[in-house]
Amino acid sequence: MANDTIIRFDNVTKSYNSNTTVLKGVSFELERGKFYTLLGPSGCGKTTILRIIAGFEAPTTGDVFINSKRVNNVPANERQVNTVFQDYALFPHLNVFENVAFGLRIKKVKEAEIKARVAEALKFVNLAGYENREITEMSGGQRQRVAIARAIVNDPEVILLDEPLSALDLKLRTEMQYELRELQQRLGKTFIFVTHDQEEALAMSDEIFVLNEGNIQQSGTPVDIYDEPINRFVADFIGESNIVDGVMLEDYKVQFAGKVFDCVDGGMKQNEKIEVVIRPEDLHLTTPAAGKITVRVDTQLFRGVHYELSTYDKDGNEWLVHSLKQAEVGAQVGLDFDPEAIHIMRLNETEEEFDARIEAYTNEV
Amino acid sequence: MRSNLTTTAKVYLAIVFVILYAPIFYLIFYSFNSGGTMSSFESFTLEHYKAVFNDNRLLVILINTTIVALLSALIATMIGTLGAIGIVSMSNKKMRRTLLSLNNILIVSPDVVIGASFLILFTMVGIQLGFTSVLISHIAFSIPIVVLMVLPKLFEMNTNLIDAALDLGANRRDVLTRVILPYIKPGIFAGFFMALTYSLDDFAVTFFVTGNGFSTLSVEIYSMARAGISLTVNAISGLVFVVTVGIVVMYYLITKRTRKSGEV
Ligand SMILES: Nc1ncnc2c1ncn2[C@@H]1O[C@H](COP(=O)(O)OP(=O)(O)OP(=O)(O)O)[C@@H](O)[C@H]1O
Ligand SMILES: [Mg+2]
Repeated sequence: MANDTIIRFDNVTKSYNSNTTVLKGVSFELERGKFYTLLGPSGCGKTTILRIIAGFEAPTTGDVFINSKRVNNVPANERQVNTVFQDYALFPHLNVFENVAFGLRIKKVKEAEIKARVAEALKFVNLAGYENREITEMSGGQRQRVAIARAIVNDPEVILLDEPLSALDLKLRTEMQYELRELQQRLGKTFIFVTHDQEEALAMSDEIFVLNEGNIQQSGTPVDIYDEPINRFVADFIGESNIVDGVMLEDYKVQFAGKVFDCVDGGMKQNEKIEVVIRPEDLHLTTPAAGKITVRVDTQLFRGVHYELSTYDKDGNEWLVHSLKQAEVGAQVGLDFDPEAIHIMRLNETEEEFDARIEAYTNEV
Repeated sequence: MRSNLTTTAKVYLAIVFVILYAPIFYLIFYSFNSGGTMSSFESFTLEHYKAVFNDNRLLVILINTTIVALLSALIATMIGTLGAIGIVSMSNKKMRRTLLSLNNILIVSPDVVIGASFLILFTMVGIQLGFTSVLISHIAFSIPIVVLMVLPKLFEMNTNLIDAALDLGANRRDVLTRVILPYIKPGIFAGFFMALTYSLDDFAVTFFVTGNGFSTLSVEIYSMARAGISLTVNAISGLVFVVTVGIVVMYYLITKRTRKSGEV
């Protein structure tokens, strides 16, 4: 286990100047050969974390380890890490071949080997035959693949990707998501991918770190994070959700929207105030009589796969519903959901407390 | 580019260019005059050009001028390019702005002032007036020009390119020679040719700091013109004009080529 750890952050903080702290004590361990995603809103410190791993910035306090070696003072050009920049940062004065060959030329690799390795890297990213193209003659998606080839050709242990897909159109973007994920699995390298697009993070990662304002809010597999968001921020950021205040009457009994429901969460104090999360796709439309909550349909948008309904209950709580069936705007409808669809969040619970509680009450059962 | 100029505008432009170029062509025209004056053209001759090439003194001056121009442009380009890189990579913004302003002041300040202050400096330090003093002062007034030509390219350069190079294992030297210099190459060429032309046609500064028999073309032409009209001056001017046009054409060709291969 410890042997498989390739990168470790130990309580890393970063301030660019004395009055703002960009990272406020970030700790994590990354295993070799996995696809990690840093997810968070603009300005939360994602790029800063990558720059610290790459060695362009030093942490203000705390330690960074690569392969169990403290690297706080190791310069970027001596690290086994390569970066795909947010804007690709390809060298405009060099053609595709020379861009990819740059790192090998620096290392004074023999010409024949350079040729072979560049050709192989370009083949990897489906750009065989583009060697002599100028960078200006490449499309956005092709440039991005040149940037990836330039990183992988050096055979680094870790590849950092800073929002590499943000400039692409939706179709190309989805295509590249598949390609990147497949590439990572073929290479077996550690990828650290930065994005602020939650769908992208969910689709690609082995593990996601959700960041906000310089703190890791939650980490886990996409399914964990989607199904068990730890707080309002994560619930809101990862997918759309309905979040309402409630009271935990006892284990597996929760009260919200004026009623008591069965649920599958426990381990909290009696009558503790909590927040309830229900995903829009877990709410099913039915008749007011058959539903657990009665709501009035306010607006309805067609989203392609489903209709997105905005509905209100009698207390004025908004409930977003994703439904395959159309509803009538203004009508009273019932909403049905399973006990499993109810997710309980304690107020101000940290990740450690959350994990401890889940462990405690699942052991009980 | 389609020109939508009206006839008046075209005529106006034509007149302006005729006025600008007329004296030069007038001068060159009479350099072929076998009569010794610029008032009546007698017949075509190359004798004034022969005179130039037979006049050893003039040839030495011509060579001096060229050497000073090439050498000062070369050295100024090196110093100015590194200086510009230094200024741009400075993290202290206030310091950077101050240095840029100082640079610009040097460009706009009158040659006479620069020449006079160099004269004072050289006499104080005890440098003999002649080749060295002329070379040093030409380097000095060319550096700000080079800095000015190189800066835009540097500002336009994405700093991630430097990080990308470091990321790929480059050391500081590699970054300079493999990324920064190739990127700003068009600016460096522009700076070099500007410095070259500034040095070639400088009169005021050189006039102050030259001495001990060392002279450049512009100073020599000035003294010949003062001494009385001789069509040899015309012939020299004609030659200088042709060389200048040559430099401009060369510069144009070089920038066109680098632009084709090196633009984002
Ligand atoms: N060189 C710097 N000097 C001062 N502040 C900086 C510097 N670089 C980043 N910051 C600040 O640090 C914070 C985090 O920046 P960072 O680039 O890590 O954000 P990010 O999560 O990558 O955002 P985005 O999604 O917009 O790229 C921001 O508030 C930014 O203003
Ligand atoms: Mg960023």
